[in-house]
Amino acid sequence: MSPWLVGFSVFFGYPLVMSAYLSLNHYDLLSSPRWVGLANYRYLFSVDPQTWTAVKNTLWLIGVLVPLQVLSAFGLALMLARARTGVGIFRTIFYLPALAPPVAATLGFVFILNPATGPVNTILGHLGISGPLWFQDPSWAKPSLVMLGIWGVGNTMIIFLAAVLDVPRTLYESAQLDGAGPLQRLRYVTVPSISPVLLFAAVLGVIQGLQYFTQAYVAAGVASGQASQAADVTSVSLGYPVDSTLFYPVLLYQHGFVDFQMGYASAMAMFLFAVSFVVTLAIVINSRRWVHSGAR
Amino acid sequence: MTVADVAVPLVRRRPPARVRRKRLLVAVANHSMLIAASVAFLAPFVFIALTALMTNDQALSANLWPHPFAWHNFVDVFTKAPLWRWTLNTFEYALLATLGVVVSSVPVAYALARLRWRGRNLAFIIVLVALMLPPQVTVVPLYVAWAKFHPFGFNFIGTLWPVIIPNWFGDAFSIFLLRQFFLTIPEEYMDAARVDGCGEFRILLTVVARLAKPAIAAVALFSFLYTFNDFFLPLLYSGESPHHWVLSIGLSEFRSLHQVQWNLTMAATLLVMAPVIVLFFLAQRAFVEGVTLTGVKG
Amino acid sequence: MKRVATAATLIALMLAAVGTASGAGTHRSAGATKLTVWVGWSARELSAFRKLAAEYQKANPGVTLNVVGSINDDKIVAAIRAGTAPDVVSSFNSYNVGVYCGTGGWIDLSSLMKASGISTSMFPATTNYYTQYGGKKCALPLLADAYGLYYNKALFKKAGIAGPPKTIAELTADAKKLTIRNPDGSLKQVGLDPFIGFYENVPERWILPWGGTYTDSKNHAHLATDSAWSKWLTWQKQMIDWYGYKNLVKFQAGLGDEFSASNAFEVGKVAMNLDGEWRVAFIKAEHPTLDYGTAPMPAADPSLYGSGYINGTIIGIPKNGKHTQQAWDFVKWVTTNTHALAEFSNAIKNVPSTVASTHSKELVPDAHFATFLKIFANPKSGTSPIEASGVSYTNAVQNFATKWQAGSIKNLASGLSSLDKQLDAQVKQAKGGGVP
Repeated sequence: MSPWLVGFSVFFGYPLVMSAYLSLNHYDLLSSPRWVGLANYRYLFSVDPQTWTAVKNTLWLIGVLVPLQVLSAFGLALMLARARTGVGIFRTIFYLPALAPPVAATLGFVFILNPATGPVNTILGHLGISGPLWFQDPSWAKPSLVMLGIWGVGNTMIIFLAAVLDVPRTLYESAQLDGAGPLQRLRYVTVPSISPVLLFAAVLGVIQGLQYFTQAYVAAGVASGQASQAADVTSVSLGYPVDSTLFYPVLLYQHGFVDFQMGYASAMAMFLFAVSFVVTLAIVINSRRWVHSGAR
Repeated sequence: MTVADVAVPLVRRRPPARVRRKRLLVAVANHSMLIAASVAFLAPFVFIALTALMTNDQALSANLWPHPFAWHNFVDVFTKAPLWRWTLNTFEYALLATLGVVVSSVPVAYALARLRWRGRNLAFIIVLVALMLPPQVTVVPLYVAWAKFHPFGFNFIGTLWPVIIPNWFGDAFSIFLLRQFFLTIPEEYMDAARVDGCGEFRILLTVVARLAKPAIAAVALFSFLYTFNDFFLPLLYSGESPHHWVLSIGLSEFRSLHQVQWNLTMAATLLVMAPVIVLFFLAQRAFVEGVTLTGVKG
Repeated sequence: MKRVATAATLIALMLAAVGTASGAGTHRSAGATKLTVWVGWSARELSAFRKLAAEYQKANPGVTLNVVGSINDDKIVAAIRAGTAPDVVSSFNSYNVGVYCGTGGWIDLSSLMKASGISTSMFPATTNYYTQYGGKKCALPLLADAYGLYYNKALFKKAGIAGPPKTIAELTADAKKLTIRNPDGSLKQVGLDPFIGFYENVPERWILPWGGTYTDSKNHAHLATDSAWSKWLTWQKQMIDWYGYKNLVKFQAGLGDEFSASNAFEVGKVAMNLDGEWRVAFIKAEHPTLDYGTAPMPAADPSLYGSGYINGTIIGIPKNGKHTQQAWDFVKWVTTNTHALAEFSNAIKNVPSTVASTHSKELVPDAHFATFLKIFANPKSGTSPIEASGVSYTNAVQNFATKWQAGSIKNLASGLSSLDKQLDAQVKQAKGGGVP
């Protein structure tokens, strides 16, 4: 236990305390921290024009991507559970994208969705549809990221599949005897039986949403590169286009590691911690409910 | 009249034609949806592969099919960028980190699951909280600490060590998963070993580890997958020293290194995806079991 | 399982050893000082710099130079913060001079200059402005850049336009005449692309022909009250709306990379382009048969015509370096040696950065390049503001401009006022003062 206690206090406890301390300072790593009290928080909430954009974007992501991911994973699992032949092949096909490294997947998607020369718009063009600008359009950038997120839903799907297959046949049969149609069986048998897994997937999705960084960072960099190809100022690309992909962790990275305003970034981190803590608390309190119900 | 005479073996009656037809329609509909979804899921891979085989000019145009097939792209990728160096770095990071996670998480999970000590529940809740904390929260002070830490003049920033070392002190997710699994091991096994005079540590090594092989394999697999694909932490610490880049960073920088050669970038993308996909095919069962374990036991 | 684990550990440890060994182990000759020099150049231009470094090493056998290319400001800032900065460092632009000088990240060269007899009068006035901040001279210019208009003479002839535009009205008319659309409405050829973020288009380069300034006498941002800004932004949006915002974005997504041989101007997809003087060398190397001309950017005010945006590569010595004197010797040589500057200027076609070298007989005359020498010498030419918040200052302006051109800002005047407040707050925060 002791090595872990050491590690825990070093890698979790200490940074938390330090973060709180730094958030009350102005610190740029070259000079020693300078006490500024709550100035960073004031800047965060009232002056920084990008704060609320970042918060809104992250909330949007959690509100849109998580339900869609859960629904598509569930839907795919249902289809797989029902299929008789070729289940293994389909399952592999749906799972493969989840194995792709996020950077590689994002890069691929930005390229494929290139509004001018990408295959998707080319095919749409042949069908007579003028494709949207995808990652180059502020209204389409986040939906494009959502598409990327759904593509990688393989992990969650496998969990759902196992859970769906685990539901005892007898439950279905008795429901059928009671005269329940397929939709009603879904609603009254399947969903309640796998509710712990549904909750688990939703929770995981929210947590990942609060930490969403890699895909947004890579997509913004690559997409803005497609437009500008300029070698000069690289730090303007975060959140491209027009701050539409500026999520809270991305903004934190920009302030902390591009502008090197470490004190300010710590203030941002403290806010994120507060939000995550509230969410975590809500889960821990509720988990007592579903952990017991899930026990067999 | 005996029961044997009256009892008739249960024969599955063939359902009436209407029901059979309905079931066939449903199956066909289900299959068509599956096929449609498969096409959608496979399409990106296909596009990436096709682009990887194009020449640079073709990749920049609206062509869908390479003409001719530039197989040598896959070779060019290695000469244009230090892909081997990145692969080496990535494997170094992934292997060391995975090893660290397994070695450190197993004892802690066991302590949380089996041993009785004060503060056990509190420790478990702390693990849960740590699990759900975004890395961005702890990142700033840790970075500052590593930047200021210069034992014997060694600079940690610019290397991958700040990313590898924390994994040797336990990983919250793995601890959580293993603890849940250990809880399901019947106490009798351990009692038997205790009766034989084994100390707790020996019990852990001999009895529990063998019984929990699938869970440990799952943890190792997931750690490897996660660290192999990791981008944020390596970017932070080694982003400014290309010598220590991992594949994720190298791939994202690939464009700017050689003035946007999309065909090579796509070829590199495929090559980066390859090791993990190969690993999946080799360890398919362990993967699926592991994923199931996380979800159902979680 | 255990055996596999041990084997894996052994392999991993071996790899780790190899990794660190190859990183640290370099051949060290007895007595030679090894200086690491970071520069932004890559490919052809990097080779030219390496030639220069080789010349220096030949003349100074006690010093070996390890030149690393493709460095950008992010890398420099990160390295200084982490304490891993090299001996000599150079940046393509002066955006972060405020940070470098203000925090002492690059050391103050004044005493070294005095001891070596180098004075600022050896350098043109504008270059002195962007190499110092807060009374500290922490950098010296290493060749400079001047920006002007590149125009495709062949396309001009086809469209029946005699010469390059000199006024904004002419620029607008020519741009529209030189634009060809496809039957489906998308753009095939663009006369001039004023999209902020495209290639070299950033606000600080475009605002100069309009005569705009950033701050008032008290160093407060005044983009809202300086009418040049609203005039330029209005014109720019009108141009973009004429092309169609989505059409332009789609067009740009299909263009070649700025520094590749498929550069949009070089292949004739864009008829006129704002670009730097180095493009002359690129065209010579990649498209020598291109029929083009160079001229100053068209100006809103005729008295401003002939001036342009200037900036340049700067070079300095990061703090905590170990070989300050040897580093300075190299910096001094490469920034003031007339022969070195002339040779380098010829190779990469950048503007020589000392008064002496601009008159050097070694400079190869080039008609296209001569335009930029004139722009560089023009007293009305200007550069980016140097502020304590460094590049975040101009980034904020650029962010604003990109939002404006996308149509996200409904009221330009109030938007500019908010921008002014934000710029001032940023500077104050960078100086450590928090929120105003």
